[in-house]
Amino acid sequence: MTVAQKHFFSCSTVVIRLLRNLVMFRNVLDRLVTETVRIHRYVKHVPLKPRTTPASVFVRSFTGAKDEAQPPFDTSLLDFLVCPLSKKPLRYESNTNELINEELGIAYPIIDGIPNMIPQEARIIKKASDTLNRPTQE
Amino acid sequence: MRVRPVKMAASVRQWARRVIRLSHTNITGASGGLSVRFDRCSAGSYCRCFGDAAEGKQTHFGFETVPEAEKAKRVYKVFENVAQKYDVMNDAMSLGIHRLWKDKLLHVMCPQPGARLLDVAGGTGDIAFRFLEYIRFQQERQRRRETRAVETPSWQELSTNYSTEDEDGPRESKAVVCDINKEMLKVGKQKADSMGLVSGLSWVVGDAEELPFDDEQFDIYTIAFGIRNVTRIDQALQEARRVLKPGGRFMCLEFSKVTNPVLASLYDAYSFQMIPILGEVIAGDWKSYQYLVESIRKFPDQERFKEMIEDAGFYCVQYHNLTGGVVALHSGFKL
Repeated sequence: MTVAQKHFFSCSTVVIRLLRNLVMFRNVLDRLVTETVRIHRYVKHVPLKPRTTPASVFVRSFTGAKDEAQPPFDTSLLDFLVCPLSKKPLRYESNTNELINEELGIAYPIIDGIPNMIPQEARIIKKASDTLNRPTQE
Repeated sequence: MRVRPVKMAASVRQWARRVIRLSHTNITGASGGLSVRFDRCSAGSYCRCFGDAAEGKQTHFGFETVPEAEKAKRVYKVFENVAQKYDVMNDAMSLGIHRLWKDKLLHVMCPQPGARLLDVAGGTGDIAFRFLEYIRFQQERQRRRETRAVETPSWQELSTNYSTEDEDGPRESKAVVCDINKEMLKVGKQKADSMGLVSGLSWVVGDAEELPFDDEQFDIYTIAFGIRNVTRIDQALQEARRVLKPGGRFMCLEFSKVTNPVLASLYDAYSFQMIPILGEVIAGDWKSYQYLVESIRKFPDQERFKEMIEDAGFYCVQYHNLTGGVVALHSGFKL
């Protein structure tokens, strides 16, 4: 592809993305728009089944507004997410919305659905007393 | 902050910098550990030459020399300040060419459906978005080929047929964006939500030197324009090797040394005159963009960085120069 064509594609992609925001049924029209930009030859538009997403996240993207205080955490991340210090798996605690490393007794906070895995930002869980201390995060 | 170098006359400082730069390029073929240590100590020895005693490990923050512990904090602050205007500034500074660089990275990467990507220092998610779109484009093209090959009366029946199948093959492609800076990830997540890219994309706040991922989890590890901000590059490379599967690919897009001298002087002039001003006008932050252009100068050149990647244990390390060496795309495999 030439440089001009590449620029054109990236610009048109930006424009297309803006247009996407204006439509209700993003999943179907998404596909339509992407196809018109990328594939010139193909005329027919096949409305494909929407991708399987975690149900709660799917609902959130449809409504476009955050109904709950924080978006839910995607637990499929736990398949490969580990504690950066000990490299051991973590446990998701839904009450406090944290990822707990039992061995080291630390909890990593999850803010806006994004887990914060920086060791300095983790909260130390005192073994004897309750674990509902005010977290030491900004 | 080290004041001794600042107090010196500008000409002496320039001479010293040139000496350091030359000594960087002259030291090749040194043994692995030594060459890495030289790079880290060069900033410290630069100070020691002029009579200062180095307390602890020193590293560079732009043209300044700071303790290693401080560099991470200062880099964090830089990106916290620029996060909102990051994409706009990228377009303004590179005149939109950064999109081509990132597209080139994807083309060289050529990801297959089912691949898992870890984008470190991914910030606003440019690489991850391109990755997902590339894979979806591949899958749809494949599906269309299959569709055309089979003789069926109407496309409606086709869509019902194919939608019951496992569309994405044995495993869905996943992209994980990891960045040390929450603000950059927040901006990236908002962009993704507005683009409707939700599935197959995850966001994690993590340190490139201490990745919160298990061993051998990813097929591709990318770090685009982020590795020069890492305090200990060798550690980041070790971590990259750890989280990659055998056969996995390490790819790094980073500003590098321009080979052509005419282009180099033009590039220098543009960097030091235009970019901080653009930073001030658009993002309201002169210092961050001053740091940016200085950090580019302090980063090792293509050959040095290639050696560092080899030292970390990657094989078949190559680099492509883009835009005359302004940007270099390094790639290595874990075998």
